Amino acid sequence: MKDKNKTTSYTLTLISIISALFILFPIIWLVFSSVKPSSELFGYPLTLIAEDITFDHYVKVINNGFLTYIFNSLFLAVVGTAITLSISAMAGYALATYRNDVKKTNLIFGIFLLGTLIPAETMVISQFTVISFLGLYNNIWGVILPVVTTTTGIFMYRQFYLTTPLAFIESARIDGASEFHIFRKIMLPLSKATTITLTLFSFMWRWNDYILPLVVLARQDKFTIQIAIRNYIGFTGVDWSSILAAAVISIIPITILFMFLQKHIVGSDISSGDKG
Amino acid sequence: MVKKNKNLSSSSKYKKNLVKAFWFFLFPSMILYLMFFLIPLVLNLFISLTNFDGWKQMDFVGLANYKKVLGDAEFYASLKRTVIYTAINLPFKIAIPLLLATLLTSKKVRFKTFSRTAIYIPVLLSPLVAGVTINWLFSQEYGLINFLLLKVGIAPLAWASSRWLATFVISTAGNWITAGFYMLIYIGAINNISESIYEAAEIDGANNLQRFFHIQVPLLAPTTFLVSLLSTINLLKEFALVEGITQGGPGSSTTFIVKYIFNNGFNQFKYGYGAAISTIVMILFGIIAYIQFRISKGGETG
Repeated sequence: MKDKNKTTSYTLTLISIISALFILFPIIWLVFSSVKPSSELFGYPLTLIAEDITFDHYVKVINNGFLTYIFNSLFLAVVGTAITLSISAMAGYALATYRNDVKKTNLIFGIFLLGTLIPAETMVISQFTVISFLGLYNNIWGVILPVVTTTTGIFMYRQFYLTTPLAFIESARIDGASEFHIFRKIMLPLSKATTITLTLFSFMWRWNDYILPLVVLARQDKFTIQIAIRNYIGFTGVDWSSILAAAVISIIPITILFMFLQKHIVGSDISSGDKG
Repeated sequence: MVKKNKNLSSSSKYKKNLVKAFWFFLFPSMILYLMFFLIPLVLNLFISLTNFDGWKQMDFVGLANYKKVLGDAEFYASLKRTVIYTAINLPFKIAIPLLLATLLTSKKVRFKTFSRTAIYIPVLLSPLVAGVTINWLFSQEYGLINFLLLKVGIAPLAWASSRWLATFVISTAGNWITAGFYMLIYIGAINNISESIYEAAEIDGANNLQRFFHIQVPLLAPTTFLVSLLSTINLLKEFALVEGITQGGPGSSTTFIVKYIFNNGFNQFKYGYGAAISTIVMILFGIIAYIQFRISKGGETG
């Protein structure tokens, strides 16, 4: 019986690791392809690891102004995430904490929920019209401000603060703390886990934003990394050697951030899960 | 008496102060949401009643755009394509994450954190880059898949120039970047199922398959509803992923509805017409979400 259990355990572990590597494989293939010289990239037989490893494609992409695109994308992701975190925390806090003091907080939350039901992609024409009207065409703020209000973020903070005892706030009020001080110094630090999760999500969303930057950012020096990658797909064919290097560069920052924060995202039950 | 009055007025002042604080905290989100979501929502309706070209021309044309959309064969074709693509992919969007989550919550499986992390990594990719990555594997001349096919004696396939092969590549990429995300949602839900339920089933002599189909799947119904709702919305609005693979081709055979709106608006500058399609699509999306909601409720009680 024990032996049989061990065999099943080995088999299942093997299946899970093979599935994981299978799912990871396209990225591995992409990374290894990006350091192949063109002769090996476009010729059979194919091998995983290049005979002559070269960083030529990376050099070419960087010389084409890729550092500017990286900077623009970082600006969008960092500033966008900072705004999303502050305004979502405030809104989620307000909707949860003052639910007994203000009428219709649920109705207000319901209006925000509408944002998840209607995909912004279907409204791209009218959104673009508003952005142009505000003079934000070809301006990085034109792709930051429209997307920083996320219902997901407000929802996450609201859920967290709904479970935080109101007594905390009451006692701080008796001590004479201002409402903003209570939020900033007492309540916000409590929601660290929510902040970490939303940081990863928001950074990822902004780093990967596509349709709005595509229509709003017109000049090449304003492009984000995604738009630059799109431009390597020409009308006549794909510039594969450049696009492979560019794709790898685009994956690096978000993967680094994920590695720092991953134990909060995927490993929430490591202690309970891996003992058996 | 005087004292009581004073208390009362300070208490109403206190209450006012709280209401003020509430609006203060909500203000930044509200103003941005109003400007970039609610106003565009109303504006979309308005634009759809005009012949706006995004520049100077903007005359009221009544319902002409809507009439035209309802007689537009290309619109119906894009919509049909989108719905078929969604319907084909939906079962996989649920089944693959569910199986992975079941495997990666089993007590018998080791190195779970490694496997979960590896499966989650594609989720980090942008849909565009994910499309490019998968497309590279399926590249007609120098792709790994065709190379492997050749090795086992099968003629290489022209993935990009057939409607169904192209749709297959897009679907592969689509499932690839969402599997890890939905898997985590399922893992969370499976961990919430009480251990005692499984123990009771074991005492009753249920085998693994019975446990999976008769306990786990029914108990996960609310999660499955969530995953299917999210997947449906995301499949219906698929755009950037396709841009990384076929850009809607060959011909228009993988042009889904958001791409069709986009083309009308930004390639042909028919803003009014594009806005009319948007309105119709929003309503259709709403109806589909509502139907799913009804079906899942029926499923839960029945």
